[in-house]
Amino acid sequence: MTLSHLATEDVFVVERNDADFRGGQGMTKGLGIVFRKFRKALFGKPNSDRADTEGQFNVQYPEERLAIPEAYRNMPILLYDDATGHELCTSCFQCERICPPQVIHITQAKDPATGKPVPAAAKFVLEYDTCMSCGYCAEVCPFDAIKMDHDFELSTANHPELDVDYNRLLRPVSYYETIAPTMWSEVKEQAMKKLQNNIKRRPGDIGRDHGQKIKGGAPVAAAATPAAGAAPAAGAAKPRGPVAAIGKNMSEDKTAKLLAIRAANAAKRGGGAADAAPVAQAAPVVETVADAPAAASAAPTGPVAAIGQNMSEDKRAKLEAIRAAKRAQRGE
Amino acid sequence: MNPIAIGVFIVIALLTLGSGIMVVTVRNIIHSALWLIASFIGVAALYLLMEAEFLAVVQILVYAGAVSILVLFAIMLTRQVTGEGVRVVFERWWVALLIALGLFGVIVPTLWKHGATWEEAAKLAQVGPAPVEGAANSLQVATATEIGRSFMGEYLLPFEVVSVLLLMALIGAVVIAYEERTRRRRVLTLAEELALKKRGIVEPRDAEGAVVPREAEAAVILLDSEQA
Amino acid sequence: MADALTQLGFASWLSVLIASIIKVTLILVGGSVGMMFLTWYERRSISYMQDRRGPNRVGPQGLLQPISEAIKTMTKEDATPRDADKIVHFLAPVVMLGATVLSFAVIPWGRMFPVDLNAAVLFVIATGGLHSIGMMMAGWGSNNKFALLGGMRGVAQLISYEIPQVMAIIPVVLMTGSMSLQKIVEAQNDFAGLGWYVFSPVGLLGFALFFTASLAEGERTPFDIPEADSEIIAGYMTEYSGMKFAVFYLSNYMSNLAVCFITATLYLGGGNGPGVDALGGIAGGLLSLIYFLLKSFALFFVMVLIRATVPRLRVDQLMSFAWKFLLPLVLVNILSASFWVALLRWDQQWPKLTEWFGAPSTADATNWGRLAIAIVLTLLINAGAVALIMRLTNRNVQKHLYTTDEELALGLS
Repeated sequence: MTLSHLATEDVFVVERNDADFRGGQGMTKGLGIVFRKFRKALFGKPNSDRADTEGQFNVQYPEERLAIPEAYRNMPILLYDDATGHELCTSCFQCERICPPQVIHITQAKDPATGKPVPAAAKFVLEYDTCMSCGYCAEVCPFDAIKMDHDFELSTANHPELDVDYNRLLRPVSYYETIAPTMWSEVKEQAMKKLQNNIKRRPGDIGRDHGQKIKGGAPVAAAATPAAGAAPAAGAAKPRGPVAAIGKNMSEDKTAKLLAIRAANAAKRGGGAADAAPVAQAAPVVETVADAPAAASAAPTGPVAAIGQNMSEDKRAKLEAIRAAKRAQRGE
Repeated sequence: MNPIAIGVFIVIALLTLGSGIMVVTVRNIIHSALWLIASFIGVAALYLLMEAEFLAVVQILVYAGAVSILVLFAIMLTRQVTGEGVRVVFERWWVALLIALGLFGVIVPTLWKHGATWEEAAKLAQVGPAPVEGAANSLQVATATEIGRSFMGEYLLPFEVVSVLLLMALIGAVVIAYEERTRRRRVLTLAEELALKKRGIVEPRDAEGAVVPREAEAAVILLDSEQA
Repeated sequence: MADALTQLGFASWLSVLIASIIKVTLILVGGSVGMMFLTWYERRSISYMQDRRGPNRVGPQGLLQPISEAIKTMTKEDATPRDADKIVHFLAPVVMLGATVLSFAVIPWGRMFPVDLNAAVLFVIATGGLHSIGMMMAGWGSNNKFALLGGMRGVAQLISYEIPQVMAIIPVVLMTGSMSLQKIVEAQNDFAGLGWYVFSPVGLLGFALFFTASLAEGERTPFDIPEADSEIIAGYMTEYSGMKFAVFYLSNYMSNLAVCFITATLYLGGGNGPGVDALGGIAGGLLSLIYFLLKSFALFFVMVLIRATVPRLRVDQLMSFAWKFLLPLVLVNILSASFWVALLRWDQQWPKLTEWFGAPSTADATNWGRLAIAIVLTLLINAGAVALIMRLTNRNVQKHLYTTDEELALGLS
């Protein structure tokens, strides 16, 4: 490589102080600076101002914590009203639609009497492991039901636990008020008004009983953190999710596959007879498949990932059935 | 001598001899050099056992620490190190045998001759107070003071001759290294290049911008040094 | 100790054996505990220099951190490269550690001397020189280019810096008239335990030179090019893991500890200090041990400070520093040491001179006068030499900033 093409003024030469006596003054000075740093870090005040370049910067994390800024966002949570226990969510699907990594899965609640949808969520699953904390869901929520939490100590050895269900997402409004007082005060009135309107359109206790569950049930321990306020207790309050969920889901998965294979076999055996309505033939299979996860979700262990997992399984099963039918059509 | 010292002596002597044998029988030349170091250290331990501390330390410092390392350096820098095909015995092995026997013939009678003196010295040392000044000169050869005195007094001429020999070797090494170095052209630093520019001196360069040596000879030498 | 055991009724050879085993065990334990403390000490102090806190979780103030790390390294996999020279690869850390432990045989702990060797000073340097064998073995036995480069670099550095290191000790030996560490410590006991060599011009320069050369011997920054992480991974330790790596680490830190101990003994009066002689007995011994450890750890703090401040040298800078800077100064220092000895101790060193000129008067006035003359003279010589050599170095730098046309044509410069 040559540098001859460089003009003289392109090159910066650091002029050393050649005229004076150089006897290690630079090194002595450097040692002095480092020693001053040592002294200040050891005996001086801890550094408080980021503009200051000296003093102890370290925060002894588990014991000491820096104050988290109000607008800090980590993972989404759902709010419910302290007084009534009513959730603010109306299952409008805005968050599910906007979520970039598509980790929000909502099932709308239905009026048990009429079967018509009501403005409340029956199931709400959020995959924390894939969530990218963009906060779009909180931005877009017209009812201020979904907000970004400050709790960042979410590490777990149990991966499926990170598919967080409705119960573990719920926090009382008072909790959010403690972590983001000004942000909540801006929207409080409007949100509460909207909540009252929504409650009117809900029959019975839909969208309310979750709050009751929170006060009792085991998987709901996360809700205890609101009481602790801005400094959530580490470790003890960590919710331990249902481990059995994997096994359950796996078996469901297998069942679905099995059913699909059986459907395909049946279609083959059926041969030309089935050509009239292959889709119709597949339909009952789909129903059976759909039933299995429903039964599973009703199980007392309380599978967290029920909706997300089952939905995809559902789809897979459907697809299998349709393919099998098509194969049958083409083949015989 | 107490039994421990005799036992230690036997062990160390066997180790020294064993590693000496390994030096000449092992096929891997690096291993051979390492065995040589082991035998040097064994000799140092023998010196230490004879209470010639200074000699022992110098043995470690010079032979085990420096000379053997230079041997290793030389081996690694010059030739194939894993010598699987290296022959242990050459045709002219009898020359080596003659030299070794001759050396042995010189050393053993010397030991025989001075053995009595040394025993006397050992007895004197055990008896108690240090021998008188004059006696120390002839008996305690091992201390640093005595070695220094004999280098600067009795054996001044051999000492100086050896020094001159080493100096010659040093100068020779410098000359060889310097010649090698002068042939190589130094890569100019940015500051130097800039200084040259400021003084209006521009090096001749080819189309790609590389420095063109001023003389054809220099180019040849450059290529040579690159190939080497 | 052996005598006490003999009195207890043991056979003489048995008592010697038992005493030796006890001594060796104590030295090994002392060395390894010292090394453990040193790792903690270095990490904590360098952390504060970088506005951090360092290890402070395991045990009080993180003091048990080295133990947890020892457990960690012991449980790690001990991997040997497939094409390595297995035996050499295995023996290299052993040789390194052995050399280091050997040097602890003569190192005094305060006023306790495990072995009072006549050539103790040289012994320490010689065992330090054995490190180069371990490095070479590690570098070559690993069958790895980085390891070989690191080993070669390390050996070249060690051999180069051994020379100024040994020669920097000569003034001390001259002033004491002995190479025994015990005698050197005793010689520094004047002025109520404050007659340390570092307070004389000769000793000051010698101290600076010896300490610098020892930094290079112990591969401390800024002389850590054998294991320059940014260039050759970990140098000769590249292919080592688990316990073998830990042994290298142990030997490195133990040799650093030895360097601190030796420097404190040679130039800072060892266990001497005010009050040691006054107390006497066991209390005095303990006080001297405390003084000694304080001095050594202060020296180690300087090592850490240098590590936190100075960047690594280039290989050519390293070599020219040893040969063009340290060596001339060391030689000049020997010269001024001989002047010092001639002025203060001619009766002890040269009986002929005493015959001719008579013994130097022991009267206080002339003693102080001669001391003053010696201090002024050696100060002038040493300061002049330092100034001259620094100026020469500077001029060299300036000269090399420019290359004349003629020089280019000749291929010189």
